Amino acid sequence: MEYTTKLMYQSNYWYNDGLKKANIRDMSGAVTSLRRSLQYNRENVAARNLLGLVYYGRGDVVEALVEWILSKNFQSEDNIADYYIGRIQEVPGELESINQAVKLFNQSIELAGQNGEDLAIIQLKKAIAAHPSYVKAHQLLALLYIQTGQFSAARKELRTAHKLDTTDEITLRYMHEITQIRKSRPSRARDRGKGGEEKQEQTVTYNIGNETIIQPASSVFKENSGLHTFLNIAVGVLVGAAVMWFLIMPAVSVGRQKKLNEQVVSFSDRIATQEAQISALKTELDDYRANSEESEDLKAQSASTQESYEIVLEVARHLSAEDMGDKEMMEQMLKVSPDSLGKTGRQRYDEVADTLFPRMCEKLYKTAREEYEAGDYDEALSSLEKVVKMDEGYQDGNALLLLAQTFEKKGEQDKANIRYQKLVEKYKGKEASQKAQKALDGQNEKKDTKDKDGRDGQDNQDDQDDEGGQDDNKDS
Amino acid sequence: MLDFAEELKKFQPSLEVEDIEGAVYQEDLTDMTDILREMIEQTK
Repeated sequence: MEYTTKLMYQSNYWYNDGLKKANIRDMSGAVTSLRRSLQYNRENVAARNLLGLVYYGRGDVVEALVEWILSKNFQSEDNIADYYIGRIQEVPGELESINQAVKLFNQSIELAGQNGEDLAIIQLKKAIAAHPSYVKAHQLLALLYIQTGQFSAARKELRTAHKLDTTDEITLRYMHEITQIRKSRPSRARDRGKGGEEKQEQTVTYNIGNETIIQPASSVFKENSGLHTFLNIAVGVLVGAAVMWFLIMPAVSVGRQKKLNEQVVSFSDRIATQEAQISALKTELDDYRANSEESEDLKAQSASTQESYEIVLEVARHLSAEDMGDKEMMEQMLKVSPDSLGKTGRQRYDEVADTLFPRMCEKLYKTAREEYEAGDYDEALSSLEKVVKMDEGYQDGNALLLLAQTFEKKGEQDKANIRYQKLVEKYKGKEASQKAQKALDGQNEKKDTKDKDGRDGQDNQDDQDDEGGQDDNKDS
Repeated sequence: MLDFAEELKKFQPSLEVEDIEGAVYQEDLTDMTDILREMIEQTK
């Protein structure tokens, strides 16, 4: 057999092997077999196309395109590579997103080499999100998770990579490594739930999609969420009450107090105003009363004046007619207030008085002296008062003197002294005045003597008391 | 235990779309036929 035929057979053999492996998703094995196939025959278009397909299945899209382009180079007509290339270019932007994923992967390799594991993880997550079948990205991400201790996340990535390529050496080795690590930590409690949740001593890690959630493990305290909620509510109520008491209530009290103060001020103003009004009204009332009293006085005075006029006219008429006794006329005339009369009335009064009063004074004075000497002081007083009223200075004040003496006899010394004093002041030089003065002097002497006797008596009493006290001391 | 640095070295940057042309030209397409031909020529 020609060696070319043998080479073709070998190439086909390895192509078939690669095909079998590709069918069971043994991508790494398929790549090896197919590359071997192409080593025997580089123009094995089928092998090359399948190799491209395997590369595409692993997420190495650019490598797949290279193989398909080379395939087209060897067989430009009736080549399924056209279809594959067309499918990739069919969806606009898909190739670009894959290209972006490749760039992110390349960046992640650099970041990981510069101790930027966290950033590399972020970039790889983006790359995987854009290109989920990218095996290398899953593997690198798993490596980074292992490096950062996120074994659950690493396991998840490796599972995905394993599904895409079941015999990838890196995937299998990393999975073995994780298993070894898990076995080397027997104290850790492992609890796998349906969602792949693992409980650790202090954290709970679980995965949702491509995201890994790590949260602190719930403690007994936190698991009692009802009690916790109740306590929170109680604390909140207490804090609210404290805020109310210390912050809001004083402000409210101040506001109320201010209102009250304003009301008090307002009421005080009103009270002051009303008091002022009351005072003004009182003053006005007093004025009215005073005016009323004045009016009453004026009225009384008017009545008195009228009465006086009538009496004067009446007495004048009787005096002319001589149809009334002097005593009766005198009684009437004594009722008259001479000062209230006008000029004409006064003139008329004086005329009557000048006619009537002298003779009546004489009669009454004589009667009064007799009554005085008889000891009938009351009657004497009555007569003398009439005399003095008619003529105060009758007989140079002797009538007034006799009146004072009558008061003195009756024991009404004060009234007597008033008359005496009047005589002394108004009738100086007259005999009556001198007698009045003597009477007053006599009273002063009596008073001095009485006071002196009173003082001597008190001194003697004091001396007697002192002597008595000394005797008592001697006896004791 | 994995050696992170060593493992990281195994990850080579992937080809980007812009590198397709270069990769196609650089692809080694030598197969057994070429090798045998060389061997025959060498023996000649």
